Amino acid sequence: MSVLAKYRHAFLLGIQSNIVYRWNFAIRAVFSLFHLAFVFILWGAAYKGQTQIGGFDLDQTLTYFVLLLVMQFFIGAFNEDYQISEEIRNGLINQFLLKPINYYAYRFSIFVAARAVSGLLALLPIIIALPLLKDHLVLPHDGWRLALGIPAMFMAAMIQFTIAYCFGLLSFWFLEIQSFIILSLAVETVLGGQMFPLDLMPSWFFHLSQWLPYYYQMYFPTAIFTGRVDQVSALSGLVLQAFWVVALLGIARLLWNRGLRRHTAVGG
Amino acid sequence: MKLLAYFRIWLACARYSVVRTMMFRFDFIMWALVEFCWMAVNLLLIAVIYRHTQDIAGWTKYEMLLLVGTSMLVQRFIMGFFWSNLFEMGRNIRTGHFDFFLAQPGSPLFMVSTRKLDLDGIANAFLAMGVVAYAVDKLGLTPSFPDLALYALMVLCGVLINYGALLMIVSLTFWLGASQGIEGSYFTMMEFSRLPRETFRGAANVIFVWILPAVIVSNVPARALLHGFDPMNALWLVATTVLWLGLGVAVFNRGLRRYASASS
Repeated sequence: MSVLAKYRHAFLLGIQSNIVYRWNFAIRAVFSLFHLAFVFILWGAAYKGQTQIGGFDLDQTLTYFVLLLVMQFFIGAFNEDYQISEEIRNGLINQFLLKPINYYAYRFSIFVAARAVSGLLALLPIIIALPLLKDHLVLPHDGWRLALGIPAMFMAAMIQFTIAYCFGLLSFWFLEIQSFIILSLAVETVLGGQMFPLDLMPSWFFHLSQWLPYYYQMYFPTAIFTGRVDQVSALSGLVLQAFWVVALLGIARLLWNRGLRRHTAVGG
Repeated sequence: MKLLAYFRIWLACARYSVVRTMMFRFDFIMWALVEFCWMAVNLLLIAVIYRHTQDIAGWTKYEMLLLVGTSMLVQRFIMGFFWSNLFEMGRNIRTGHFDFFLAQPGSPLFMVSTRKLDLDGIANAFLAMGVVAYAVDKLGLTPSFPDLALYALMVLCGVLINYGALLMIVSLTFWLGASQGIEGSYFTMMEFSRLPRETFRGAANVIFVWILPAVIVSNVPARALLHGFDPMNALWLVATTVLWLGLGVAVFNRGLRRYASASS
């Protein structure tokens, strides 16, 4: 069996098993619409009496949050860390150690399948809310934004997944990893620009955040598409993003090798 | 006498929770840190927005801090006293472990709601009080003892309202069976308690101010500290407390009648 065919099967299985959870994704997407309502109310009130905040008008800020939401469903890691942790803890991982399958590639194939399902499902409530949203959506039309934004999105997905994968691998050392995950989620929420656009932070903090991987998770691709980043910074950002992809892959590999040495293959 | 018996049961559960926390100290520290970080995230949002604006719907930075602090206080108490219990109730209904609570000599609602305390949530409630105290100080307010007592009572009402809402949401598991994630709707609703009432217009005003008890739990106590006691607001809060607590208990009791255990 060719290498690609193996992971194609993993992908197809992933599609099937994620369609089972379609209601979960749909419910989650509906909750996200409520979060969007919160964002609209808060920022709408903050903009009262002024047309610009940080050089952007209200509609540009709202577009940022809508696109961020769509991004989350297309490239965000949901519960991959828990799934990996479960597989390690109850010994399901043992079967992969005996077969010519790369666990990272296998898991990544399933992640891609899961995001294809959740991304498409999340579009439904957005489409339903479109009559309310459409007057507020303003996207720049430069062609380069698409050309640079799509690779940025792909690498962002890799960063998202690899961080989740690393947290999952912590199960080799710790029994309970949930608190680590939620703690890191708090950091990601701020430094990934999900709470507010990062360019509204003091400039020293904004510059500092550009060196961290979180910046390249959600904020970077969203900022490219919504016009918050110019062409030069987008290009240099892509280089740093690529660096973080490679670095995180290295960390994941290290954790895997070290973890397996501790692994005692319980159950199986 | 009966009340005393329940108090003794609660005390025993509390003691058990403390012992348990001492056994898993690292877990306690991690979870306290988790909640602390999420509180910090919400405070950061306020700090960043007020770098760029003077007021939100007439609320200045420290008034907003008082509001968010109050919302946190209510939520920390819920997390400390009830969240784990109700969250596990949903799971137990699905798995049939709920039988265990029915077999105990006492009101099932009491047994289900008070089995565990999360000390990390309670510890962070003190931090939330710190946020409120800091905002009060910055605003130059000097609340008297009755003012503070009234504020505490209103926060208690907020906790009871949230408990009722959460109980109702989780009790839906009796009907829905597999209903992963409905508990999440509670957090979604609570997000709105961090906004001033004046920001809600039109449909949002009807939904989040009048129908759902999201805005009232934080706005009424915070307003009482800021602008003094308003009998109409207090009455509204008490009525909402009675309504939501009643609704939660009623749905729970109806659900209990439906409960047929799970096959073992």
